[in-house]
Amino acid sequence: MSSRLQRWLWFVLAAVTVALVLFPIYWMVVTSLLPSSIVLSRHPPLLPPLEHVSLDAFAGVFRRRPVLTWILNSTLVAVGSTLVSLVIATLAGYSLSRWQTRAQKVAGAALLLTKMLPGSLIVVPFFVMFTTAHLIDTRAALVAANVAVGVPFATWMMKGFFDTLPRELEQAAAIDGCTPLQALWYVILPLARPGLAACAIYLAIVAWSEFVFARTLVTRADLWTVTVGLQSFVGEYLVDWPALMAAGVVSLAPMLVLFLLLEPFLVSGLTAGAVKQ
Amino acid sequence: MRPSLHDAERRLAWLLLAPALLAVALLIAWPLYVIVQMSVRPGKALAISELMARPLGTANFERVLHQQALWDAFWHSAVYTVGSLVPAFVAGLLFALLFHRAFPARRWLRSLLLLPWAVPGVVVSITFLWMLDASYGVVNAVLRDLGILSTDIAWFVDARTAMAAVLVPTVWKSFPFFAITILAALQSIPETLYEAARVDGASAWQRFRYVTWPGIRGPALLAALLNALWTFREFDIIYASTRGGPAGATETLGILVYREAFESFRFGTAAAIGVLMLGTATIFVALSMRVLRKEFA
Repeated sequence: MSSRLQRWLWFVLAAVTVALVLFPIYWMVVTSLLPSSIVLSRHPPLLPPLEHVSLDAFAGVFRRRPVLTWILNSTLVAVGSTLVSLVIATLAGYSLSRWQTRAQKVAGAALLLTKMLPGSLIVVPFFVMFTTAHLIDTRAALVAANVAVGVPFATWMMKGFFDTLPRELEQAAAIDGCTPLQALWYVILPLARPGLAACAIYLAIVAWSEFVFARTLVTRADLWTVTVGLQSFVGEYLVDWPALMAAGVVSLAPMLVLFLLLEPFLVSGLTAGAVKQ
Repeated sequence: MRPSLHDAERRLAWLLLAPALLAVALLIAWPLYVIVQMSVRPGKALAISELMARPLGTANFERVLHQQALWDAFWHSAVYTVGSLVPAFVAGLLFALLFHRAFPARRWLRSLLLLPWAVPGVVVSITFLWMLDASYGVVNAVLRDLGILSTDIAWFVDARTAMAAVLVPTVWKSFPFFAITILAALQSIPETLYEAARVDGASAWQRFRYVTWPGIRGPALLAALLNALWTFREFDIIYASTRGGPAGATETLGILVYREAFESFRFGTAAAIGVLMLGTATIFVALSMRVLRKEFA
């Protein structure tokens, strides 16, 4: 068998695999484009009948539910917590990468261990703390909670990127008269830009997906995030599936774009065990 | 005396690390301390000052350990963790082996394959709730058309199938992590090893067993450990689809803690369950570290 043919056979196998794996996303999109009369069927058509395809479900769910408000809240929380986490994690990651004393190693390991903490457990003291601090029902509480889970991991990610940059860069900068902070700002950070981008995208995806804090630390409906809003459909007597799937598509779309930007870094750049919410 | 350059550098190192340590102290260490305090100081109090004023006692733990719900939740957590880890690992390994080959458009197909990782847990839940719906779900429809199913199965609603129903979306969301990790490990195996094996007449299975597997075992085991820890504490997928029901069939420890705190408003017993949960995870990590240390030594 020629290797050319073989490559195309592998391509077909991979394409079929991907199609099967992505069926749930396909089905969500198809459902969102069809009216209930077609969707609620004992034999739902696997290919959408094109004459019935419309954006009515999207228009409907935006009219009946405050989807835009949810998206705005999710965006504010995701952007806020990503910026704060990224600054903290960049400084810490640089420190852990360049000065590897024993105390630094212990600090680094402690950061990593925090990944073990269950969100549904840590939210209990968060609720108590934020109640005491009168921060319940604020977006600041959600930003703080997301920073708590984001920083440890982002720090390790940034450390990994800084480890790939040679120390000679700072030595050269020092000879040119840079202080260590100037060297970080003018020499290292510009070079670490791909790492910063990957880290920011990772943090944004995690914050956007976050559910348990948003469900617990805010109670006012006008502060709900997308995930809380979507979950509020579940358990209703009659679920409006096309509307729910339309809201799901809207909430998923920005993540898919971010992910396609991030993906090249995932395989090439990151070390084992470095990626997971 | 002027501080030496060395001292100045060390100060800078800690200065840069300080915001992260502060964030962790305030938002991780202190909350953990509050959890432990809540678990050992029985009684009702929401304010931290009131909480600390109460006497120490083991009532929360006694109460929790006598609840059948706790032992059920332990069992459900174990089933859920193992039940999603094994299929996700196997799928991730197979996909990684497939995508390690050279074929057209590999880069794009790989991106698409890993997409489920980026889908929020709640969105995964609602999608599978719809697909596994008893009357109108596409899964039942296909199974009916294939003649496999004669009656509808209410996957998420029937206590006998609910655990399987929450496992499917969990596997779907977690296999990309294994695929990524194993793919990265595969890329680090030198091609010359395969050539040598081929020259020696090794079969495909032998090449996998003696070249591929030793090259990926370390990272793969580490990924399995991390994934087990994450699945053990999983909340979003289960809560958003079943809330631990029906009749507690999918109530894992992560769900039980949350319901105890925010549905029954018993923070003390919730904290006690949390402490037991963390203890279990710690023992698990300590045991796995022995295996892993051998791997990476």
